Amino acid sequence: MKKFLAFLLALTLICALAACGTAANPGAGGSGTVEAGTLRVAALYDITTMDVAQTTDNYMVPMNVFDRLFEVEVQSDGSSKVVPSLCTDYTVSGDGLTYTFTLRDGVVFSNGSALTASDVQYTFERLLTAGGVNDDVPLEVLGGEALKNGEAQSLEGFKVIDDTHFSITLAAPNAGFVAELTGPGVSIVDAETMAKVKNFGKDCADTIGTGPYVITEWVPNDHYTLVYNEKYWGKKPSVTKVIVSIVPDASTQNLLYQKGELDILDLESLDSTIVQSTYKTTYADKLVVAPRVGLTYLAMNENNKYLSDVSVRKAVQMAVDVNAIISSVYGGDAVAEAGIIPTGVWGHNDALQRVSCDPAGAKALLEKAGYADGEVKFELSMDSSATSSTQLVYQIVAEQLKAAGITAEIKSYDDSSWLDLRKSGEMDAFIANWTMDYNDPANIMYTFFGSPDKTKLRSLNFADTAVMARVAAASAITDDSARMTEYQALEKIIVSDDAAWVPLFENTHLFALGDRVSAFVPYWAGYSNFYAKDVTLK
Amino acid sequence: MVQSILKRIAQTVLVLFCVALLIFVLLRIVPGNAVVTMMGEHADTDAIARMTAELGLDQPVYVQFWKYISGAVTGDLGTSYSLNHSVSSLMAAAFPHTLILALLAAAVAWTVGILCGVGAAVKKNGAADRLFMGFSLLGVSMPVFIVAMLLQYLLAYKLNWFPLSGTDSFAGYILPAIALGWNSAGSVARLTRSTLAEALSQDYIDTARAKGLGGRAVVWRHALRNAMLPVITLMAVQLSSLLSGAVICETVFSVNGLGRLAVQAISARDIPLLQGTVLFSTVLVILGNLTADCLYAVLDPRIRKEA
Repeated sequence: MKKFLAFLLALTLICALAACGTAANPGAGGSGTVEAGTLRVAALYDITTMDVAQTTDNYMVPMNVFDRLFEVEVQSDGSSKVVPSLCTDYTVSGDGLTYTFTLRDGVVFSNGSALTASDVQYTFERLLTAGGVNDDVPLEVLGGEALKNGEAQSLEGFKVIDDTHFSITLAAPNAGFVAELTGPGVSIVDAETMAKVKNFGKDCADTIGTGPYVITEWVPNDHYTLVYNEKYWGKKPSVTKVIVSIVPDASTQNLLYQKGELDILDLESLDSTIVQSTYKTTYADKLVVAPRVGLTYLAMNENNKYLSDVSVRKAVQMAVDVNAIISSVYGGDAVAEAGIIPTGVWGHNDALQRVSCDPAGAKALLEKAGYADGEVKFELSMDSSATSSTQLVYQIVAEQLKAAGITAEIKSYDDSSWLDLRKSGEMDAFIANWTMDYNDPANIMYTFFGSPDKTKLRSLNFADTAVMARVAAASAITDDSARMTEYQALEKIIVSDDAAWVPLFENTHLFALGDRVSAFVPYWAGYSNFYAKDVTLK
Repeated sequence: MVQSILKRIAQTVLVLFCVALLIFVLLRIVPGNAVVTMMGEHADTDAIARMTAELGLDQPVYVQFWKYISGAVTGDLGTSYSLNHSVSSLMAAAFPHTLILALLAAAVAWTVGILCGVGAAVKKNGAADRLFMGFSLLGVSMPVFIVAMLLQYLLAYKLNWFPLSGTDSFAGYILPAIALGWNSAGSVARLTRSTLAEALSQDYIDTARAKGLGGRAVVWRHALRNAMLPVITLMAVQLSSLLSGAVICETVFSVNGLGRLAVQAISARDIPLLQGTVLFSTVLVILGNLTADCLYAVLDPRIRKEA
């Protein structure tokens, strides 16, 4: 037995020695005092790459390490406006096709390399040739398609005038073009650096930008660290170091915040009952509220046997009681939406009326269309990684549909299978959220209803090609008023007449601030990712 | 003995090949696409096709498998699609955390399990028996995540004795180790109790007592040693299992170990990463069994002689 005890002791010693050699997570869960200027936050999932040409999933690093030509600034009244960033000024030609931009003087990348117009050109061309996930903006430039398809060597519509001036000629006018340049997907990279490095977006040392921070460390599945960029052209931020710890359990994040080990807690993944019972009461004065500018919607596949019938789609719209969902799941922290263009986005139609919840009317409509009670059935596909609140929304919607005589069978898929099925265009119905990339209605109208490819990609299979052509043409209307009128007319056709999808709500995004934080302005669209420069520490 | 170990190693190579083949085939049968998952919903079909070609996933399956196997033989397990790092480096970073956690959890499981099992066997059918077995069975009956969250709340959040999350100090491993170890202790305790109770009823125990040996010496030196063989098998299997990664505890306590890596691989259809973690786990299980066999020989001279 002595031998056994000695063995256990040896085991413990081995563990202790091994522990000395493992990587330390210096953020959440860390003990001791916190270095001045350090912000500690947590994320449920790790980043996969820092290169926006490869992913659209997580923009925390791109938003803080790179800059865009323009940015969106949240005003004191909560509205947002496009402001200069790397570009200080621009002019547009009379035909709305050619934009001439002026770059800010004296901007350098964190490795000392000067920002020039050629870097912007390189960025645009690279998004077309090396990426595929954030190429919407450069594709609008004249010759974008040709470069992407390998039929050209450079972007025809991009002209470098001198180091600080360049012009972009679009294939068709687009009144929202400058707004599109604010999206994290158009982060500007250094052509000179890119020619030298091998692992851009993967190795910290290779991932160079002009933004307020540089990434100094990335321990996969553990944490990554951003440190203030001494060569940053803008005002020095209050936060000089950001440690993002990967804490995959939301309840652990909750305890870490309450113990004072996180400076900002994103409440989105937390169970809504905890948010309502604890954060809305005990921490009410610590909450920062931001609209998650976008839309949670129920998509219906028009290739489905039942959902191809507009009467069934209208019945689904009538069966869903959004206000009940908002009050029961989100404690009132969401706004019911009636159309496609969400609240807070230019072009949003306040006057558009939501279809009233009327289960009896929905039943009558189905009966009139020739369906027996309970005949209409479809699968409501759910991503198993959905938050607990979203899973609850699925269950409530299914119950509400059942009350109208419609059977929506919830089937849960793992992340990969769900996305694959959706992209195949064969998913019957699903609930998802779209958060705006930039403040222009085209971002959601064109993405969902701009072409047969787009509608198939999102498992809608919307069939009206005339409407799709109008959606695509609407972005070229240069007169704001006429453009808004056209979008609102299209919105009415798609949602009210064709009942192509069920708009549900726009979420409110809550963040809880720790004692060390005095102010925090979330990203205008309410992303979980934010600009660390917009955080002020005490 | 040496011949037996060499034979086992030869079998291991065959098993690893079969496991690699099985995972390779299974991952191509199940729905889900690694490239689609990696690139997200914005990626168009051209971009997906280009990335598929870049990763070599457009090649015939047998070509892909051959490339993988020939790389694996030289130690190159490929690059993770989802984390963009070499699988070997990711596993090398994750394994120390899992190793510490597994060894600590094993220490908890075996100490608690054996002590409870011995206590219960010696006082069979008495109050102590019920107490020891009740305690150890509670651990095995309660889901690990409940135990983990309770320990986290009470000992880390309320009493501040341990860190809530992360492994920046040795203390960070203790709560997950207790949660995991208590869960495994029940099986060890039950088996120890039954085998020890049987051993205590044998004639040689009466002989030992007749020779004037004290109760402790009889139990710990004579009976327990003979009763430990099946327990050791169980302990070896438990250790192999713990070393393969403890997903729930690693998630609750943010331990960057193999379990989380494997789950991430499955979720992202990250074939190289999943193959790497599964192959590694297979090696550990085989090594665990081999170690148990060797320990038999150490503990039981009859087996040593046969070998």
